[in-house]
Amino acid sequence: MGPPLGFGLGLRHQHFDYILTHWPEVAWFEAISENFMDSAGWPRQVLHRVAERYPVVLHGVSLSIGSQDPLNEGYLKRLRALADEVQAAWVSDHLCWTGVAGINSHDLLPLPLNAEVLAHVVARVHRVQEALGRALVLENPSTYLRFRHSDIPEPEFLSALCQATGCQLLLDVNNVYVSAFNAGFDARAYLDALPWERVAQIHLAGHQHCGTHIVDTHDRPVQDPVWPLFAQAWAQSNGASTLLEWDGDVPSFERLQTELARAQACAQGHWPSPLAEGGLDAQDPVVHGAAPSSPLSTPIGFLMPPVMPRSTVHIEAQA
Amino acid sequence: MSEHQVPVSTAACDAAEPVLATTQAWMQEALLRPWAVGLADVDAQFLPGAHASAAQLLGVYQRSYTLRLRECLREQFVATATALGPAVFDEMADAYLADCPSRSPSLHQLGQRFAQWMDATRPDAQLDLTERESWVDFMIDLAQYEYSLCELFDAPARDDGPWPSMASPDAALRLQPGVKLLQLRFPVAGYYHAVRAGQSPSPPPPLPCTQALVRKAFRVTTYPLQAAHWHFLSAMGEGASVESALQAVARWSGGSMFDTRRSWRIDVRALWIDAGFFELSDSLRPDS
Repeated sequence: MGPPLGFGLGLRHQHFDYILTHWPEVAWFEAISENFMDSAGWPRQVLHRVAERYPVVLHGVSLSIGSQDPLNEGYLKRLRALADEVQAAWVSDHLCWTGVAGINSHDLLPLPLNAEVLAHVVARVHRVQEALGRALVLENPSTYLRFRHSDIPEPEFLSALCQATGCQLLLDVNNVYVSAFNAGFDARAYLDALPWERVAQIHLAGHQHCGTHIVDTHDRPVQDPVWPLFAQAWAQSNGASTLLEWDGDVPSFERLQTELARAQACAQGHWPSPLAEGGLDAQDPVVHGAAPSSPLSTPIGFLMPPVMPRSTVHIEAQA
Repeated sequence: MSEHQVPVSTAACDAAEPVLATTQAWMQEALLRPWAVGLADVDAQFLPGAHASAAQLLGVYQRSYTLRLRECLREQFVATATALGPAVFDEMADAYLADCPSRSPSLHQLGQRFAQWMDATRPDAQLDLTERESWVDFMIDLAQYEYSLCELFDAPARDDGPWPSMASPDAALRLQPGVKLLQLRFPVAGYYHAVRAGQSPSPPPPLPCTQALVRKAFRVTTYPLQAAHWHFLSAMGEGASVESALQAVARWSGGSMFDTRRSWRIDVRALWIDAGFFELSDSLRPDS
């Protein structure tokens, strides 16, 4: 994987013009694979320009490594082509499935964690790594449910998967916090059980606390209870490449840089200041009242292409 | 390191198939048709959460599935959603997603069949064409136009040239791949751009029209076309040379080749070359 890349941000279309104009100080960018791999237009052009100046990592949401459907070989071929084109530092996706019978739910759905599923995923990771010509990096998803026939804790499952395939890990510390609250396990014990030598990358993101459960919304700053987990993860991974995700209500690029600076400060031992009470910046806010279950998990609206700014009409009506 | 020993051959997949296949098929059904899921089945599949029941937590996935894809469709069809109103659009989006769930790794194709689906499920489908409501035609045309823009935004096109010049011979001109031709019953382009500019336009009156969507330098421009232009560009889109396409227009209009060639040279040639309708034939490119 090479040396850690430092602190990076997600490449989002809302910021294309800003990035191409300002070439901001960011160590690296993470691009959503599916937003670029089938593009023959502006998004791919932007990614090429960005890759000329910054290290780029590809992060997928549709590999569906745990699905019972056959792997999509055409998808793997196009992903390989894009990774080669932009000399991606690595290619990642999630330990999940997204659909069966050809359907894509565009969600990161949980897997039963047991020996049979482990064997299934191991075989598929081997095939994916063969197709991509590089090690795959897999992320722990945020989960809301546990299957009754799961009998392997997630860190053990990930350890066994790495051992059997040589794949690497993308540790999302916010996801650990979310899943731990929802399932009732100890987030620190989860971290203690991870194979740290396999952690190539760390994700940070914001979540929304709904009282009875937490939803991984990616629409706000990193919440205060997540920072201690990040500090532990950063230390135990020897400073793994760290990426801030913010995908719902995407703020200005400068706001993202401010949030990224908080992560850098935390890594250097300076605890981020507690967030203000109330509003989006509240400390691990609990939504009370009207609709505690309304926030969306796995935001995907940001994946839609920005067509309008690049469209004009020549003449109003036909002559 | 883990105590779990795992086989590494692809044959290992078969061992998991019955349980995993059943589990995933069941859970996908629970997302797509949440009303059909029994509470006992949910409790049989999942453990309760630390602070919520399994059914409540399954609800996070169920709600998010519908709402997030609806949000994406709304983004892909902003003007159609405005014209229909949010309640009607959301209802149609949910029905469309139930009939045509996503089958692509990318969300860009989510609305690919939306206009066709609207046509197939229109409320007056049982009536003769002459008796159908024209506002439905407007909505379908608008959806078709919006998706065409999305499609062309990311489709292969000649964005960077080399471009033909006014001095290029007709024999060197070929329709570039970033040109899409549309035949519509309403001039929806103006309505679409007004909505996207934050205005509240009235729907235009019906007016059969043909349009060319052209991408150049990663920007898509909509050009209205006259009928003769449509026939000319359609012929070129099928691979005809300029000369053959002019002959097709002359045959269609009953006009002379002299007048047809003259109209091409005076009325549209310079405008269309400048707008990026054409690329140079392979054999005539400077780099070939």
